[in-house]
Amino acid sequence: MWRTVGLRVLDAVPTMWLVLTLVFVTMRMLPGDPAIAVLGEKATIEQLNQFRERIGLNLPLWLQYLHFLRDSVTLNFGTSFVANFTVAQLVALNLPYTIELTIAATLIGTAISVPIGVAAAVRRGEAIDSASRIFSLLGYAVPDFFLAAILLVAFSLDLGWFPINGGGEGFVDKLWHLALPALALGLIKAAFISRLTRSSLLEVLGFDYVRTARAKGAAETRVIYRHALRNALLPVVTGLGLSILSTLSGSVAVELIFGRPGVGSMLIGAIEARDYPVIQAGVVVFALFVVVVNLAMDIVYTIVDPRIGAS
Amino acid sequence: MSLTRRRFVAASAAATAAAGVAPRHSQAQATPDTLTLALAARGNRTLDPANSIQGADNWSIIHIHDTLVRSPDGRFAQRPEEFIPQLAQSWTMSPDARSWVFRLRQGVQFHKGYGECTADDVVFSLQRAMDPKQAGDRSLFVNIASVDADDKYTVRISLKRPDPLFLGGTIQNYACVILSRKAVGERGEAIQRDPIGTGAYQFGSLDPDPSKGVLMTANPAYFDGPPKIRNFRIRYILDTTARTLALLSGDVHMIEGVRAPGWVPSMKQRKPGLQFDVAAPGSLFTMSFNLTRKPLDDLRVRQAFAYAIDRDAIAAATAPISRRTYGLNPPDYPGGLKREAVPEALRYDHDPAKAKALLAAAGFPKGLKIEAYTSQREDYAAIMLIVQEQMRTVGVDIDLKVIDHTTFHANNRKDMNSLPQNSSAYPPVPTLPLSDTLSRTGEVKADGTGGTNYAHYGVAIPGIDDLLAATWAEPDFDKRIALVRQAELKVLADLPLMPMATNGYLIVRDPKVRLGYEVRSGYAYWRMNGAVFA
Repeated sequence: MWRTVGLRVLDAVPTMWLVLTLVFVTMRMLPGDPAIAVLGEKATIEQLNQFRERIGLNLPLWLQYLHFLRDSVTLNFGTSFVANFTVAQLVALNLPYTIELTIAATLIGTAISVPIGVAAAVRRGEAIDSASRIFSLLGYAVPDFFLAAILLVAFSLDLGWFPINGGGEGFVDKLWHLALPALALGLIKAAFISRLTRSSLLEVLGFDYVRTARAKGAAETRVIYRHALRNALLPVVTGLGLSILSTLSGSVAVELIFGRPGVGSMLIGAIEARDYPVIQAGVVVFALFVVVVNLAMDIVYTIVDPRIGAS
Repeated sequence: MSLTRRRFVAASAAATAAAGVAPRHSQAQATPDTLTLALAARGNRTLDPANSIQGADNWSIIHIHDTLVRSPDGRFAQRPEEFIPQLAQSWTMSPDARSWVFRLRQGVQFHKGYGECTADDVVFSLQRAMDPKQAGDRSLFVNIASVDADDKYTVRISLKRPDPLFLGGTIQNYACVILSRKAVGERGEAIQRDPIGTGAYQFGSLDPDPSKGVLMTANPAYFDGPPKIRNFRIRYILDTTARTLALLSGDVHMIEGVRAPGWVPSMKQRKPGLQFDVAAPGSLFTMSFNLTRKPLDDLRVRQAFAYAIDRDAIAAATAPISRRTYGLNPPDYPGGLKREAVPEALRYDHDPAKAKALLAAAGFPKGLKIEAYTSQREDYAAIMLIVQEQMRTVGVDIDLKVIDHTTFHANNRKDMNSLPQNSSAYPPVPTLPLSDTLSRTGEVKADGTGGTNYAHYGVAIPGIDDLLAATWAEPDFDKRIALVRQAELKVLADLPLMPMATNGYLIVRDPKVRLGYEVRSGYAYWRMNGAVFA
């Protein structure tokens, strides 16, 4: 397995380089001047030039690119143009919030979706199957930011059960602040995963070895959970990996609505302000996140289906 | 019902969760010893007055520091004699309005043991603010020739040109607050995150998490008496929905309002009793005509715009935030034009028929099409979308591209917009907006090296440069104001830009917070020193 991990990490190097290069090019192609974004529209030409010189925007592009790669490799992104903090401080503040939101949303999504998917497959055509279909359709149709706003108004504003915004302090308080944002993202995720679980399980339930297990007199619960579900999980794990990555993008809007810190909202703010060091750091974090999630999924594959590891 | 192990565990978990949630919820509510204000920003950029360009930061700066003089609470001082002593207890202006002498209040102490505020600190602070390397607004300081200490408590400021409005234009501005020379010397750049002032509140903490923001604590030794509320926290919540809900839920006491049509009525409906404090004029919203582009070089076309745009309707759409303006300066500024002071021919009251006739006379009987940009920021986009609709009724199709705010300003500075808009805040010094947006030297250039005269006024057609020069040379307050009015009327006759409306700065306040005064005008920040919880 370690060989697989090593190979995957090596695979990630050109991916990261490509991503960084694309970010560099895109940032320079974006309309708008970072100097005006930072100093405001009333800034004098002298102030604008001083700023450009200080942050190296006057250097030739190839030299800026080399500095950019050096900073990315050494994870030394300097100081934000606009916030009065180092980029490392900003990432250290925001990253844990994004990770905890992603993990919590994934746990909630999985906890909801797999039982629903199994029930819908086992009781195909019955009321529970129809209900799960409606649940999934709603999940597909409702954008995460809309659901987040509904939850916020209902449970925070009207009922007052949850905090209105922020990330919280201390373990319990953080969990409390995390609940609604994670539920919003988790419910959307559950809609996707439950359909995936249902269709995958339905396919497996038709296989010969399932029929054989039943013919041997195995209990239905054992047939489903021991024989069928485990084999049906491979596409579900793939879907879960994809949904974790989509949660990252979905987290941007949810972070904003709940006023939570997070890498997504940090990145969006940085793009609007043309805050190059923060954009650079945010993209590196996201790219690393993608690499790590893919790697984790590969490892989970080998656990779910040992034949993959053996091959 | 039997109690199974599973039920017991579930019930225990639910009870624990409820017990944890309930007290925590009350803790999250704004506590009575802390006043909380949520501003529309991504976070604090700096607490250094010389480098601040983000309005949201100035709320902290003015509470941690003091200026030499200030306007009365709740409004701009209109005349020199209306200013109130702050760190300076008295001042004099020379007859030529070029020399100002300030006598300091004795015994005022900097926070955290940094000693007494003396003339040396004032000289240091103003010289530091004047340094062209600082990022702050340079226009405030260009007229200062020198700052000197006559003795420990006397400061003399010499100006290059006469300025009877020096107190209102420069000295009362947040950028002119007084820093401790010793603290800046010791802390260097760190002063941006850990400032030392003499203000009513002293700096407590600055969290990179914008939802925690800046915490200030009352200065018990404040010369004007300590503030009534012990702590003042400024949080940053950019998202409009999140900020609104934070106020409605009681999580914060005050929020920065949204300058978009319909927002204020919806808030009043949702929670009657909320207080809406509007500092007029806030920003002055104008739309320039790029005089180097056809057909905008034709005065009749510009006049057609002026008659077609219903500025009363625009102001009404964003009431109570906006008010119609008749000149570049708002009516309640010195030199600002009130309705009755404008000849009817230059008032441009809404008259679509006249607009159509002017377009026909200019050779556009079937109307015309113009491309323009606006910013996605709510105050710009809201007004320009109304303008677009109004112009459509007279046959003018504005192909309006709504682009992000940074790109919008960058494009304006490169002369890419036919109808550049500007929404900037100015102190009650009427020459400032006139010179910023209409002087020849500020002409915009395609390579981005020019200024903010987006109309090319004074270059494409003769402008108001001579009048501005005469105004700057005039030491007498009343004569200066008369010259400003002349310049304003010439601008209305030439129409290089359309004055549209003021765009007031709005803070929505929980009624249980009492300011102790009514907010009528002023900068986009005001003192909370005397605020109390009812």
